[in-house]
Amino acid sequence: MDKAKKLILNLKLFFSYRELLLNLARREITQRYKQSILGYFWVILNPLFQLLVLSFVFSTIFRVSSFSVPYIVFLMVGLLPWNFFSSSLSSASNALVGNSSLITKIYFPREILVYGTILAKIVDFLYSCLVLIPFFLYFHIILNWQVLWVIPIFIIQLIFTAALSLLISSFNLFYRDIQYLLNLIISLWFYLTPVLYPVEQFPEKYRFIFSLNPMSVIINAYRQTVLGGGPPNLNSLGIAALTSIIFFLVAYLIFKKSEGQFADYV
Amino acid sequence: MIIIKSENLSKIYSLQKQRTFKEFLPALFSGQPTKHAFHALSHLNFEVNREESLGILGRNGSGKSTLLKIIAGVTKPSDGRITVNGQVAPLIELGAGFHPELTGRENVYLNGSILGIKKKEMDRLYKSIVNFAELHAFMDQPVKHYSSGMYMRLAFSVAVAEKPEILLVDEILAVGDTKFQEKCLNRIKEFQIQGSTLVLVTHSPGQIEQYCQKVLILDKSKQIFFGDAKEGVEKYQTILSSPL
Repeated sequence: MDKAKKLILNLKLFFSYRELLLNLARREITQRYKQSILGYFWVILNPLFQLLVLSFVFSTIFRVSSFSVPYIVFLMVGLLPWNFFSSSLSSASNALVGNSSLITKIYFPREILVYGTILAKIVDFLYSCLVLIPFFLYFHIILNWQVLWVIPIFIIQLIFTAALSLLISSFNLFYRDIQYLLNLIISLWFYLTPVLYPVEQFPEKYRFIFSLNPMSVIINAYRQTVLGGGPPNLNSLGIAALTSIIFFLVAYLIFKKSEGQFADYV
Repeated sequence: MIIIKSENLSKIYSLQKQRTFKEFLPALFSGQPTKHAFHALSHLNFEVNREESLGILGRNGSGKSTLLKIIAGVTKPSDGRITVNGQVAPLIELGAGFHPELTGRENVYLNGSILGIKKKEMDRLYKSIVNFAELHAFMDQPVKHYSSGMYMRLAFSVAVAEKPEILLVDEILAVGDTKFQEKCLNRIKEFQIQGSTLVLVTHSPGQIEQYCQKVLILDKSKQIFFGDAKEGVEKYQTILSSPL
């Protein structure tokens, strides 16, 4: 009972600071490309070059099959959400440590710093999706209404990302090893998620790894709805949703519990 | 009506003893202690009423700033309890939330929201903030081009834009030129007259007598006096003149 009351109090407090959340996200976005000529346009250019390089390597040199769609289109539908995921995690690792001067001086709910960076990454992600348009037009990819599935899929991805970000940001505050470890884990995770290749090319006896990996369920779901034109596998998506929500609650509680010590350790 | 109440308040930091991993691992396995406790504050008892102001005196390292952090809600006490009945405005480390690449205007809004001021209120306060800082011509420039004096002036102006219930001040700040400093002190005095509580950390007994009714003297993390300002200041003078 007491715990529930505390939770409601925390949520109310968070809500009263919602403007800070927007301002932090805005700060992150506006400061990043100051003093650059192309400015925010880099958000589109970066994934574009990344896509061109990767698709050259994996479609021309390694000849990964992508079934009925051109490889570059197959790749971008998986890579853009993956980029959102990995860039959120790496900026979250610095969300608390990089704002140590605020944490040691002024009180406000600390999770706002983490959510702020994620919010900025959401904006980046939406802009980077503009890259899809010319390719979809050029290759005559036709979307049907099933594409609306991307909204719930994205929400599940967001919950999962937020949960991991909360944990990473607070652990990194206590042990800076986390940020170095994170780079390693993200690159390993990238290859164990069907971003560059279709699930079907993975040896069947190891394919169970994908069902343990919410990101692979999510990436597959994006592809099924955007390129396949059908509904995602609701069974595995449902499990991913449930685990993400439970994981988020656990992460939130851990974060809130250690929050009081942030100023002492940062 | 009590605004700040401290009951048996203690703060213990546990510090890592071994600085490097190379030292840490053998210590962990051989059962040597890997942490040692550092008492930053022990057993503080005091209370401040509304419309009263508290001065905190003490030598370097006596725990003054730690106490301010606890009152600000930034860190939690290890033991005991602190009750703070009011909204706290920290005047510590001005401009902590400023971002060098953002303009003065953007930083004012950002800093306002860190202090919990809503955008609508900020729109209303903005003019008076700029007026107070006397930086009309510079508000659309990135603050990295500001001189340090300008930076502090803007930071101070945001921090005192709204009358807080509790104002925390770590040393009366050396902000800008003497004229601006005077303006800051006047603003603080104004707040006091309007009923704000000031918590002032300082080395200067003169400032305590000028601004505070109550004084708390800390020495080596312990409370050695709490009471009337006048009496406290006299006591502090005798402590200072006595050897360590």
